[in-house]
Amino acid sequence: MSIETPRWPGGARMAVVVTIDFNDIHDIVAREPSTEGREKTLSVWRYGARRGVDRVLDVLDKHQVRASWFVPGRVAEEHRGLVGQIHAAGHELASNGYRCEIFDKLDLAQQQEAFRRGHGAVAEAVGEAPVGFRSASGNWAPGFADTLRAAGIRWSSSWRGDDLPYFHEPLAAPRLVELPLHYELEDEPYFAFNLYPPVPPGQSRIASYRDVLDNWRQDFAGFRRYGLCYLLRLHPEMIGTTGRIALLDELLGELRGQSDNWFTTGREVADWWAGTQPPNAPGHPVEIFARHIAELPS
Amino acid sequence: MPASSDRSTTVDAPVRWPGGARCAVALAFDLDGPTGNALIDGSIWRNPSFFTLGAYDVWRALPRLLDLLREQGLPATFFVPGWVVETWPERCRAIVADGHEVAYHGYEHEAFWQLSADDQRRVMARSRQIFENHLGVVPVGFRTPSGDWAPETAQILAEAGVVYSSSMRGDDRPYLIDIPGRERPLVEIPGRWELDDYASLAYQRNPNFPAGLDRIASYAATFDNWRREFDGTHRDGLCLTTLFHPKVSAKPGRLLLLERLFEHMRAADGVWFARCREVADWWLAEGHP
Repeated sequence: MSIETPRWPGGARMAVVVTIDFNDIHDIVAREPSTEGREKTLSVWRYGARRGVDRVLDVLDKHQVRASWFVPGRVAEEHRGLVGQIHAAGHELASNGYRCEIFDKLDLAQQQEAFRRGHGAVAEAVGEAPVGFRSASGNWAPGFADTLRAAGIRWSSSWRGDDLPYFHEPLAAPRLVELPLHYELEDEPYFAFNLYPPVPPGQSRIASYRDVLDNWRQDFAGFRRYGLCYLLRLHPEMIGTTGRIALLDELLGELRGQSDNWFTTGREVADWWAGTQPPNAPGHPVEIFARHIAELPS
Repeated sequence: MPASSDRSTTVDAPVRWPGGARCAVALAFDLDGPTGNALIDGSIWRNPSFFTLGAYDVWRALPRLLDLLREQGLPATFFVPGWVVETWPERCRAIVADGHEVAYHGYEHEAFWQLSADDQRRVMARSRQIFENHLGVVPVGFRTPSGDWAPETAQILAEAGVVYSSSMRGDDRPYLIDIPGRERPLVEIPGRWELDDYASLAYQRNPNFPAGLDRIASYAATFDNWRREFDGTHRDGLCLTTLFHPKVSAKPGRLLLLERLFEHMRAADGVWFARCREVADWWLAEGHP
């Protein structure tokens, strides 16, 4: 079976998208409600706004990389200055609920409400409506894709299932493009840590920084071999420490050194994909999923 | 079910492999797709992130893995739940077209040790129908989803025409499992956690795997472990099988690990690369215990 070779613009071999989840404390509070009110614990995550965002911005600027930043509405309200700086530096601002709600626990109407409130707050903070969206937990209810489309969202980076972009069902215009995730391209599975309450739940050791960089390099080599879309998902409080920011610096330096990598934002990949690529092939994970959802008893 | 004690051999007793080979390597992949508990209880349909992570297995990882096996001229066995064959028949036909073995792995990756005997029989019958209808193949091999099985499972497998299982962990050579009332024993080709890519590289949140969300291991260290396991197999003249999952180890960056591992194995002298069913046939024909 042959491997599809996508053609990226300008003869690029692959696409590289850096995404940053700037969630402050809201993601950890949503996931681990027992963290609420525990200031030492929360300060682990507050480090992003205090120190990490600046470091990440500096490294992105050094390598002339524009990233896509997902910001929940509450963060746009509470950190208006920082969010404005991110926007002013030329990065894409994208949407992520109001308080990083775990959509799995909400029905469709509640998901729509969280999205609208979050989307509105980010739009107000930066003066333009985001066209990208990420569901913090990766999930949403059937029908939610229509909500996103109706609100002008053109791309999501929430689901998995591929290493190229694909279209969400239904395929009605305007198409909603998914830029799928891979855990090994996220910093959180390697670096998140808190003593009590324990994060991660088994309180495993913080990974070797050197090994993580090596893994990301090797993942990159594989994505490049097959001409895919390499999408990092980073958190300013994790990658933006004084010791770890050098990993991003080193990685971006190497990747920027190859002139045929298309460094771009989620929005630009999505627009290119929607404008040039045929519908998903039959049997695509997203199509199988939609087919089974439609057959389920309501 | 352990090997009967009178059949035990010592570590020092050399095993004969075909053509005077020094050791056997039966590469095996569990093509689970999105099957498993969440599919069985229906919760996967509220978890598109998890569903798509599983579906990547068949949709993207499998074709690239087949390319790699073809390039390296290596045979393999794919244990495939019936649901996966039904859902992606074209993708699964490519496995057969490339000359690999396909074998049973439940319908939805059911834990056989939790099923009644009747339900186990139903899963086997349904799986056989699916393999025949979609792939034109009647498998002779079985790997228990989850590995564990019920007291009557071996008997049920024999009734279903299964010749070998690759479900257990407790040896580094095949062994025989006697089935009451049947002349022909079942051949067991045990795997090892050390050669299960889940133990090093799998990661998923909600549902959590590993349960404590331990870190994804270093790729370089993982490769080094796997290489050392093969080197030991080669040194001692044993039989190595893998419990690799395309969605875990045939992702773009990790295929490079498999590629290096396969190259390392092929560079060694006297390695018999075989499908599991060939290992089972050899073991029976040789009258090994």
